Amino acid sequence: MENRKKDILLHLYGEASEGADLHGLLKDPELRSEHAALSEAKFRLDHRSRKRPDASVIDGIFAATPGAVTEPGRRAGDRPARSRPTHLRKVLLPALSIAAAVLFGVAVGWFAAPSSPDKAPALSDGGGAPDLVPPETLYRFVPPTTNGIRPTGTLSWDDADELRQVYRRIESMQPKSSLSWDEPPVPLESLPVGRSGGILPAGSNR
Amino acid sequence: MHPADEALVEQYMERGDEHAFRLLVERHQERVYGYLLGMVKDPAVADDLFQDTFIRVLKALNRDRASYTKQGRFLGWVMRIARNAALDHLRARKKWYDVPDPEDMNWWDALPDLSESSDEQLNRSQQADMLAECIDALPPEQREVLLLRHESDLTFREIAELTECSINTALGRMRYALLNLRKMLETTELNHVTHADA
Repeated sequence: MENRKKDILLHLYGEASEGADLHGLLKDPELRSEHAALSEAKFRLDHRSRKRPDASVIDGIFAATPGAVTEPGRRAGDRPARSRPTHLRKVLLPALSIAAAVLFGVAVGWFAAPSSPDKAPALSDGGGAPDLVPPETLYRFVPPTTNGIRPTGTLSWDDADELRQVYRRIESMQPKSSLSWDEPPVPLESLPVGRSGGILPAGSNR
Repeated sequence: MHPADEALVEQYMERGDEHAFRLLVERHQERVYGYLLGMVKDPAVADDLFQDTFIRVLKALNRDRASYTKQGRFLGWVMRIARNAALDHLRARKKWYDVPDPEDMNWWDALPDLSESSDEQLNRSQQADMLAECIDALPPEQREVLLLRHESDLTFREIAELTECSINTALGRMRYALLNLRKMLETTELNHVTHADA
């Protein structure tokens, strides 16, 4: 019943589907009285005078958004054609970009290099434990001298006393150890203990 | 032959034709204004909201035309903007939710009192005022559907989409709006006749 009442409403407002039959619905007395009641209210509403805003209100819309509508041709037509790239834009700018990139690379390299060879990292600081230095840092960039060749013709780290000392210590330790890399592992206790060489107990003074 | 809404929108968008947009505003002014006035019940506020609605329309067209083309019919799109403007205002004024629940509402208390003019014949203007007061006394949901159908000429399907309800709900609200309106009008006129006789 509710659906048929809604069908009557759709008929009243001209929105019923084509197959809907109003006459069939109105054979039912209840639906007929529903139709009469709805029609009466609709009739009153249909004959209601319509209201509109004051004309100044509409003018106010355009006054409030002057940029939006007062420029005829604002969106009209195509945009003007772009001018051909000039010589400056076509050749000079790419060349300048490349030159700037090269200069930047040189500047980065210059500032990344040590300011003097004396600041090159040492392999050890005398009697203490040797510093762990990545091997690539040993090959540091040395700023060229005026003629581009070092006076001695040798690398800065090759003639260091510290390097020679470390080398001698390794050489002297080598014969004292009976272990080699190929042998199976042995417990530490079986290794010789003492000042003559080999393993030193933890906490003992050298 | 009048150009279609879509053609006028096109003229405005493509050529910045102010006249085309003005035609659109004038064509739909009664539909938009009637709805807004019915919602806020204050002509001055309705004027402001009407202006605000079309300023929003202009800005939306200039900023993002897709928001219009996605919505389909121009009037439906404008009414959505008008409804948002009206609801913003009503929320700000906290009137929208202050209306009593329809289930608890006593219709007869809300009827307009026309006893003061009982010794005069009801003229056309008074009848219009009486009808307007009865519409104002409807529950908000029913009033809105009635306004959207009668003032804005939206279809029930469009009303359902706009108010985010099913078409059956929109039809049910409209049906109750008409039946309640008829009852209120009958009672008011009966009161008037009784006062006149006394």
